[in-house]
Parts: sequence; C-alpha cells; structure tokens
Amino acid sequence: MSYAYHEPSELDEALALLARHGDDAHAVAGATAFMLLYRQGLLRPSHVVGLRRVRSLGGIRDDGGALVIGATATHREAERSPLVARHCAALARAFASVATVRVRNQATVGGNLAHADPAQDPPAMLLALDAAVTAVSPGGTREIPLAELFVDVLTTSLAPGELITAVRVPALAPGTRAAYVKFLPRTADDYATVSVAATLRRSEDGRVADVRVVLGAVGPTPIRATSAEDALRGAAPDAARIAEAAALARDAADPIDDVRGSAAYKREMARVWTERALRSLVA
Amino acid sequence: MTDVLRTPERRVEGREKVTGTARYAADAAREGMLHAAFAGSPYPHARVLAVDTAAARAVPGVRAVLTGADVRPARFGRRLLDWPVLAWDRVRFIGDRVAAVAADTPEAAERAAALVDVTYEELPAVFDMDAALAPGAPLIHPDAADYRMLGVTRPPVPHPNAQGHQVHEHGDPAAGFAAAARVFEHELALPPVHHAYLEPRAALVWIDGATVHVVTTNKAPFSLRAQLAAVAGVAEDAIVVHTPHVGGDFGGKGLSLDEWPLYFLARVTGRPVRSVLRYADELQISNTRHGARIRLRTGVDRDGRITAHEARVRFDGGAYAAGKPIPFLMPGEAMATLAGYRVPAARVEATCAYTNHLPAGHDRAPGQPQNSFAAESHLDLIARELGVDPLELRERNAIRAGDVDVHGDEWHASEMPRVLAELRRASGWGRPLPPGHGRGVALGARHVGRGKTSLELTLDERGDVVVRSGVTDQGGGALTMIGRVVARELAIAPERVRVEQVDTARSPVDPGVGGSRVTMVHGNAALDGARKLAAARDAGAAPPIRVVGSADQTAHMFGSYAYAVEVELDRETGAFRVVDATLVADVGTVINPVAVRGQLEGGFAFGLGQALMEELAIVGGRVVTASFGEYKIPSIADVPPLRLVLLTDAPGPGPFGAKSVGELANPAVVGAVANAVADAGARVLTLPISAEKVLAALRGGAA
Repeated sequence: MSYAYHEPSELDEALALLARHGDDAHAVAGATAFMLLYRQGLLRPSHVVGLRRVRSLGGIRDDGGALVIGATATHREAERSPLVARHCAALARAFASVATVRVRNQATVGGNLAHADPAQDPPAMLLALDAAVTAVSPGGTREIPLAELFVDVLTTSLAPGELITAVRVPALAPGTRAAYVKFLPRTADDYATVSVAATLRRSEDGRVADVRVVLGAVGPTPIRATSAEDALRGAAPDAARIAEAAALARDAADPIDDVRGSAAYKREMARVWTERALRSLVA
Repeated sequence: MTDVLRTPERRVEGREKVTGTARYAADAAREGMLHAAFAGSPYPHARVLAVDTAAARAVPGVRAVLTGADVRPARFGRRLLDWPVLAWDRVRFIGDRVAAVAADTPEAAERAAALVDVTYEELPAVFDMDAALAPGAPLIHPDAADYRMLGVTRPPVPHPNAQGHQVHEHGDPAAGFAAAARVFEHELALPPVHHAYLEPRAALVWIDGATVHVVTTNKAPFSLRAQLAAVAGVAEDAIVVHTPHVGGDFGGKGLSLDEWPLYFLARVTGRPVRSVLRYADELQISNTRHGARIRLRTGVDRDGRITAHEARVRFDGGAYAAGKPIPFLMPGEAMATLAGYRVPAARVEATCAYTNHLPAGHDRAPGQPQNSFAAESHLDLIARELGVDPLELRERNAIRAGDVDVHGDEWHASEMPRVLAELRRASGWGRPLPPGHGRGVALGARHVGRGKTSLELTLDERGDVVVRSGVTDQGGGALTMIGRVVARELAIAPERVRVEQVDTARSPVDPGVGGSRVTMVHGNAALDGARKLAAARDAGAAPPIRVVGSADQTAHMFGSYAYAVEVELDRETGAFRVVDATLVADVGTVINPVAVRGQLEGGFAFGLGQALMEELAIVGGRVVTASFGEYKIPSIADVPPLRLVLLTDAPGPGPFGAKSVGELANPAVVGAVANAVADAGARVLTLPISAEKVLAALRGGAA
C-alpha cells in the first residue's frame, strides 16, 4: 500500500493527525467502504488514520433512556446488543440487514454514517428514529441531526478533520412502534432496491399521534417522506389512508435507473414497501 | 475390501485448500520479479493514431513500456489469432490493450500505465448482433484475411463481421411444417454473463536461456504452449507451462490474456514479470458467455409431437473470436436448439457476430444455456397454447432410442423417458400448489466428453502407485478421480495412489480440462494404466513397474437430465423465489460421489444465478456491472434445497461405466425457472428474470 497507516490510541492524537495532513489524510475504522473506494482509485490518501484503537470511540450504552452507539462499534455488535434490541428491535434488524456477517464483523456504525451511502440500511432507520451524531474536531464538539448530516451521495456535512464519535438515538415515546423493511429481489447480500424505515405511535383513540417514514436507496440521501407522514398524522390509519400515504411516498422517492431497476419501478416499489411497513405498524 | 467407489472421496488437494497452504498462480514469485500493468482503450472502436510513452517511462521503477508497435504483428487466440497482444492500429472494445508496463512495484506499473498518452480517432461502433451483420455495417476486422488459424483452415463466413456461421438441415423441414397441425414461433434473448470464478487470472513469465517458463491460471497448459509457440515464434519444447491449482474455471480460463504481453515484457527486460488481474478487469475484458438472440419456429401435430423445427441463432461474439477453441468459431453447442428431443426435420442456422463489446468465449456448457432457455420456453408456450401439461408435452417428444435429435443424429440409447418418469414421481408433479406458486419443467442433454490423453503410472515395491498427469484440476476433482480409478482397479486403498500434476515438460501431451472430458478421457487412461500395471505385476515384473496409460474416447453418447422447479411469486413486486427444486440426472457409474453431488448442486446454483440476476450490463460498450456489488451471483443464502435423484444404472463410456456431470445440469435451470414463473402468471422472454420484468409481465406489458 502506498500510504502511511497511523493507529493512534487517543482521540486527540487522531484529530491532530487529521489536522496535520489535511486533504492527504483519510480516517477509517473498519475500512470496508474505504477499501472498495481505494481499490477503484476513488480515494488516494497518503495518510490513513485507523480509529479502532481509540477506546473512547467504542461501546454501546444507555444514557438516561437514550441509546448511544460508539462510532467504532461494529454492525455485528450493534445487531446483537441487548441494549439496541431493547431500545428498538427494528434498529437491530437494520444493522443486521447490512451486507454479510463477514462485513458486519468489520464495518462500524460511525463509519457507515460517515460514508453516507444512501443505499445503506442504518441511515434510513436512524433518521426515522430522529438520531443525531456527535462530531468532534479540534474546534470542539457538536451534535448533528441525521437529517442534516447527509448532504448528497457519499457526502456529509462533516467538516474536514471532523470525526463522528457516536450516534445518539433518543428515547422513543411510549407506544412507538418501528419497522425496517428491505426489498431484495436479487440476493440476500445485495444493496436494497428500496428500503423503508418507519415509526408510528397512536393516541388512545387509535389515531396517529406521530409518524416518520424514511425511504432508503431511492435518492441521493435517505429521504424523509414528510407528505406521507402528514397524510397520516391525526388520521385513523385504515387501509385507505395507508394506501394514500404510500402513494405520497412514491412521489417523494427520487431514484435513478440502475441494475436494480428503473426509476419508475423503484418509485412503485417505494409505494408498495411503504404500505407494507405502515401496515405492519398498525396490525 | 469394500468398493472404493462406494466410499465418499477425500480430495487429494483438499487439505491444502482448506488450510490455506495451496499455492495459486498469483502466489508464484521469482527473484528480481517485475510487475505488469496495462493501458486499455476508453473507446469501443477507434483508430490508434499515436502512443506517447514518455511520461510513463519517467515514472521511477519502470523498466519497460511496450506498445503495439513493439509487438506487431503478434495476435493471439485459442484457434483464430485475431486479438492483437497490444493494439497497434485499432482498438475494438473498451479495455482493449494498447500498452504494457513492467515496473519494480505494482503501484509504479499502474501509475505508469495511467500516464500512457494515446491519441485516438473514434470510429463508428456496432453493439447489436443484427446491426453488425447487416450490409454496410462498420467493419471491425478489415484485415481478417491475414489472420492465422491454428491447425485448420477457417470456414467461410457470410459477412466480414461474422466470426462463425453454421447451417444444419436434416429431414424435410418444408414437408414437416406443411404436415403440422400448428406452427409456433418465438424469440428470446439473453445477455452476456461472467463465470464468476473465485480466482482472478494471474500469470508469471520468465525466460531462462532458451526456455520460456509460464506459470498460469490457464486450465489447458498444452494448448497454451501451442498458442504461445505460434504467437512468439518459439518451438513448443522451448516453452514450459506450469499450472498450479486453478481456483475455478467454468471454461473461462481456457483463454490466456496477460501471458502474451508478459512474454514480450520478460523478453525485453530479461526479468520475470507477473500480473494478477483485478476482478473489475475480469468483468470488463475477459471471455464472457455469449449474449444471444434466438428465434425458434416449430411445427407440431395434433398431439403436440414435433414435426419440423427451424431456428435462427445469433451470438454476440464481441470484439474477438480468440476465446473460442472450436474451428467453427462458435460456442460449442451453438446448434443445439432442441437438445434432448426427437426432431424428425430441422433447419438450424447460427451466426456469431463481431461487435464492439468485450470478447465472448467459453463458459460452462458453451451455447447450451442460451439454446436451452429459448427451447424450453418455446415448448412451454406451445404446451400452454395446446392445453397440454408441459411435462406431458416433453414426455411425448423426449428422444428415445432410434430417434434422431436436432442435429439429425440417431440416439442408440436414451434415458430421457426414464428421467422424465422419475422427475414426475420425485417432484410430486401435479400436486396442487398454493396460490401465488408456479411450477416449471425443463430437460436437457449433454454429450459425454471426447478426446485422448496419456498419463504415466509407477508401481513401487510396497505396491503403492504414483500417477503423473499433465491435466490440471480446476476444482472438479480430476486428480482425485484418477487416483480412485487406479485404486479400484488394483484393489488398493485410494491413499496408496498419489496423483501428481506435472508441467508440460514432464508429461505426455494432454488436452486439459474442458468439454466434460476428464472423467471419460483421463479416467479411461488411468484405468488402462492400472490394467497394464496389474498385468505386469501378475506376469512377475519386478517393481518399480512403469507404464503409460492411454485413452482415446470417441463414443458419441449423452447424459440426460431434467428439472422441476416451484416458485413463489409476490404479485405486488414481481419478486419471486424458488422454493422447491428437483433434479433427476443420468450420470452412469459414480467415481467421486461428493464431487458429483457438488457439480450438480453447483450447476443448479450456477443456472439459478443466470436465471434470476446475472447480467453483464453494457452501456455504450462499457460494462457497468464491473464489481460483485453490482454483478450479483447467488450466495448460499439464496440457493434453495435441491432434491437430487441420480440414475446410475445406464453405463457411459467412462471408467466402470461413468458419464460426465461438470456441464450436465446448469443449462436447463434457466428454462425451468422461466417456466415456473410463467406458470405463476408472468412469462418473461429475456434473461435475467428480474422482479421488474415479472411485474411488467403480470401487468400485461412487454417483458
């Protein structure tokens, strides 16, 4: 390999390395996405900063009802974590949906979010759960809601040299149900043709008190289908209303033609899978 | 002692492979070795006006940069030498190589290759087979008349953009169609697909005095030796080809790509030069299965019995015919449009076209999946139109002893009726299906392999045997098979037979792995050798006893098989999965029980990938599925259980009555799946059968 590999054990050291080498440096944790891009010649850093030895970036914990997943926790740790499962089973499912177990043993939760691949599974689910990342730089620490993190394909609002240290998933309001569905017509380890993450809470009269619908793999970032949410909020979620919301989700999708299907097909599948996800939440 | 053949085999190379100590061509290294990288064309068709290598040569560590001017007029190929080692006047597909670099490190070589500055003048490109064969189409090989053909004269072609062309006619098709109660016509199409073997191509070439050494992933070392002798103008016995373990082949590794420029780089630098192809390049420049468009017309009598058949088969050969070893320059079974059926009269015309796509070559049962998908869909459509159960229609038309097949050849024996009867029973054909399910059937037949070889056997004082063979083992189990044949014949334990695969300098000429031949040919040679050893031993010869076992397998015989497949279809999305599958296969005597099962189950998974998802998607000449993130193949999680029924009591021409299985059972999977999906409500006439196409068919659109 024609880059220098650094493996600091302290976060400050990592930040200093990134600051010193600027555009010539790239941070990695599991490096699964990095190696794909590197091998295709899309990334050519002269310095790679490995974060796996920075202890403070790992681990999964409960923070007063919020779930905090360290940036270097692997997908496999997250999918098997009792804390994650207790917080939201659908979130554990989203982590378990990524690629294969071999990849999940290596790929990290923070790396996945920093990679900002709109076809990945956790971003859509975490966005539906109103999560935010904690980001640090030599200038300080800030919280970035996921809705503001993803800017475009493989592009985030992280500043150069800024690192994700954790993702924080707030406590779900009591009675909230969540679903993650992934349409995989080819292989079990494929990227989604479309995925849908949704949360829904009903008030005592059965009407929808709160709802979030996020579409994955059908746009440059995960797409929050706010029009679909608006159609449901305050309404009785009967089959007709869910169908109406699903049709709005279809219109919210912004896919491209590729080997997983034409844009028109993916839009239609966004409708079908939104309907299925929402039905599962009111069943 | 118990019969060796009844004991599951232990792979002779198994321990090395599972412990990671097995060495492949990419692991080969020599003192002072350089690394190669290549510059390829960004255009599908262009004139090469100038190549400037100054910047490439200036990269530190670069030892040589070669261009077409340095290798002209060297062209390579398995039969027709039509592929320039490096293009000097014209590039014909995206990735066609124009320069080769040897450098101290792979990084330096790659950096230099990227700095080779080529001036191109774009030419009109042609991507469609019919457009390529139309009058006035842009010529892809204006100098074709100068190309050399190894061993034979090139058969005439009807158009300068035709690689190969064949016409067959038997019986009286016109009378057959006139006598038909109904005549049906359908057109089907398939994209090119890749073998997706695990190991990418790799090669190491060095020149030691007058001897050229090649370590290669080529599965037919003696063929490579003959080709290299022709290309380099070197005597065959001045070339030694070493083929270590081959990590999967499926036909693709019969064609060498890097060995040619490596030879020139080794010659000019005086150093060993190695290359390991990136998988992205495998998917963009190597030897695919041919894409095809196939139009079939068949007449049937009132009972659905075939009276006459007509076929027009078009293959997309891509930019070069170099990957095809057979003299017609076609996929091996280009003409087998109704394999396994009685066809009293037929006219089949097949043409393989040059296009500006990446070159196509051999892939597991070349030509058969294409023709099988077309024929099995066609017959299913006919059954549906006639209101006859699809299995019943096949039973009526299955070839029987004394019938002629689509090639006009008479079968002296046929297991096909038994295969279908067994399939009906084992699959529970006719049992009611749950809503949303569909069931499909397809049959197939493949000739057992032919060819000749020799191998050397030595019996020592302890009664142990060493066999030396030039055959490679690409994962099929050839070496294990040879050992077990010898062990059984001599009534000794398989562990007492050691089979060594040796280089071309230390082995009699060998045809290599391919054409389903190894068990037939090498197995019979092993049996012949074992018998000679036994005879010498019994005659009182003193060990070590050394004999040469030989075989020349010419018998024309077929293995038959059929699938029944059940799918469950999601009518809202078009997605479906295969939930049940039965394969009945006529395999003769089994030598390697585990490998036979592995080949049949693997063939099923291989066909399943082609049916459901595999497609080298090419846009404007560029492969857009150039990684396994985009070009998907089934993982184990995607392969349903397969109910496997072996018919072992109809002996074949192999040792102890063996037949072949390596390419037996992959072709018909595509048709069986397509027919099951059609039974569930969606007929799709092109591969792969994507969820989107199924949904379009369900909604009544074109698929």
